[in-house]
Amino acid sequence: MALETRRLSVPGSDEGVREALDALAALLAGHGLSKAVSWPVEVSLDEVLANVVRHGLAGRAGAQVDVEVRLDTAARPPGCELVVSDDGPAFDPLAMAEPDTTLGVEERPIGGLGIALVRRLMDAVEYERRDGRNRLLMRRRLVALEGEDNA
Amino acid sequence: MRIDEDRAERALVIAPVGRLDSVSSSELERRVVERIEGGARQLVVDLAGVEYISSAGLRVLLMAAKKLKDPPAALVLCGLGPAVRGVLELAGFLPLFAIEPARAEALARLGYERPC
Repeated sequence: MALETRRLSVPGSDEGVREALDALAALLAGHGLSKAVSWPVEVSLDEVLANVVRHGLAGRAGAQVDVEVRLDTAARPPGCELVVSDDGPAFDPLAMAEPDTTLGVEERPIGGLGIALVRRLMDAVEYERRDGRNRLLMRRRLVALEGEDNA
Repeated sequence: MRIDEDRAERALVIAPVGRLDSVSSSELERRVVERIEGGARQLVVDLAGVEYISSAGLRVLLMAAKKLKDPPAALVLCGLGPAVRGVLELAGFLPLFAIEPARAEALARLGYERPC
């Protein structure tokens, strides 16, 4: 089976985000996957964790975020699934309005872009509230972003 | 993340190295604000050493562009690899910035010619 599942539980803090990003990068690199195909997944995990840590858990002492990474290296191209879950207040990031990405520098609000990027970078993103927990599932085939010439 | 700096006459080059994620971007933000408040009016941000950038990093670039708009000053980005370019494109950021392939071209755009 070329299916690997990695589960980790990190503190709901900047240190926790860094730990999870390091773990994901190491797992993907360990399977010989280059940055050219892994970065969309790494960026998406950062966006989702930043949201959960800064807003959902809002510095609550002892809060934890669970991250599950499922990597299917037998598939061509390889597939990666991320599940981020937390016990913060119910919050569906996918229910937020899409920001206008056509505005100029002056009109452009600072922030609000993270989840829009996740939607554009991943093949599928699903939210559910289950057993008092927020659960966000993201999936992407590990290929270079469309329009890029290096794979 | 590490932040390298280089000066070419009155232009300042800031070159973050590593990933510009939600944690490390605040370091870049502090550095950029410090330099702009310290009087830097011609800024090149060289992203050649950046593995990837998330929205927190975009926020720093946008903040720098806003700060350097009034009074008018110059901000040029360069060294965009596929990951950085991809995110800037998806976010609709490419039209907002002056972008050059590498540092030498970015400095030339600001009027400085120097061997590279």
